[in-house]
Amino acid sequence: MSAAEKMSRRDEMETLLPFYLNGSLEGSDLEAVEEWLASDPAALAALGEAEAEFSGTTAANEAIRPPADALSRFAKVLDAEAGPARAQAGASWLAQAWGRFMAVPVGVAWAAAAVLLALIIVQSFVQPGGKGKDFEIAGAEGDLAKMPFALVKFKPDAKMSDISGFLGNNGLKIIGGPTADGVFLLGIPADNAADYAKQLGLIAAQPFTETVIEGRKPVDGG
Amino acid sequence: MTAATETDRALVDRVAKGDRAAVRLLFMRHHARVYRFVARQTGSEMMADDIANEVFLELWRQAPGFEGRSEVSTWLLGIARFKALSSLRKKKEDWIDDEAAAAVPDSADTPEVVTMKEDKAAALRRFVDALPEEHRTVIDLAYYHGQSVGEIGEVLGIPVATVKTRMFYARKKLGEALKAAGYDRGWP
Repeated sequence: MSAAEKMSRRDEMETLLPFYLNGSLEGSDLEAVEEWLASDPAALAALGEAEAEFSGTTAANEAIRPPADALSRFAKVLDAEAGPARAQAGASWLAQAWGRFMAVPVGVAWAAAAVLLALIIVQSFVQPGGKGKDFEIAGAEGDLAKMPFALVKFKPDAKMSDISGFLGNNGLKIIGGPTADGVFLLGIPADNAADYAKQLGLIAAQPFTETVIEGRKPVDGG
Repeated sequence: MTAATETDRALVDRVAKGDRAAVRLLFMRHHARVYRFVARQTGSEMMADDIANEVFLELWRQAPGFEGRSEVSTWLLGIARFKALSSLRKKKEDWIDDEAAAAVPDSADTPEVVTMKEDKAAALRRFVDALPEEHRTVIDLAYYHGQSVGEIGEVLGIPVATVKTRMFYARKKLGEALKAAGYDRGWP
């Protein structure tokens, strides 16, 4: 091999080294570099030089710091660009509820988490693929199957934190739904009809409640 | 598949269906690199900020048409490159902002004197920064962005052979600059 040919090969290998280092080299180019590294004493030193370039280039790039608020500013631009229609297209009530849940202060988010988890479980049980049709009662063979319930629809702008707080304080549980219309099956822990009616009245009085419909009532004296 | 392990391509599919959360995830994954790429292209972090946002808006707009023939990162860098060049073309006057000015070495010292004050790594970094834009870009894309020869060709819209030629001259110039500064590395 002549000196010119050898230099030419060296030039070619030096050109490929950056791609060998970044792991993108393949095929005959990869074989050629590996063969060179294994056979030429100068190759390992050359690889070390390329590694130094690698480090220097990485340092030069990482010295540039993107603004810390870049994501929040982009989110606003995106909202302005996308508008509400596309964002909500095809979104389930649960997905929208999740969005509102994410907007609540961190301090109260934990309280909503339990309810949200219940919703997700119910959602996956009732609405595979996010397209529910009818009610099903979670744990239908257990106590929940006999539990008094009501049909409840929450307002679209209801906050999960408000709902979860209310449900938790009153011993209420979501045991089914939502339907495609966003109606939930709410378990009512009432022993008699009067208590049942009282609790329905309380639910209906909440600012986040859109509709309450009587479901299975407890049997007095039963 | 969780969001943490969801591939870029799967996220683009979600974006195509109007999922803003997926755009935000892609933004979090790729923004810093896109921002740095544009900053290095334009020499302006202000332009980088605007252009990086535009890149991700383009992602939102073009996601339905993304065919997955290239990596999402390559696609984004290609958009960034196009927008950076467009912005530079629009800029009528030759300007140099404060950030770029700060990056220019003090002219009171000759390059040799400046180099003597620093170690080899710092010198190398400075020489990379001082490369002509077309050479520095292939260095950045290979070393920092991990792009292959073919991917760099896609980003820059140039043939593979040209990528290799630019890489050859970029590294040759780095070697010559180091040699002039007293760091002979045996090639070229």
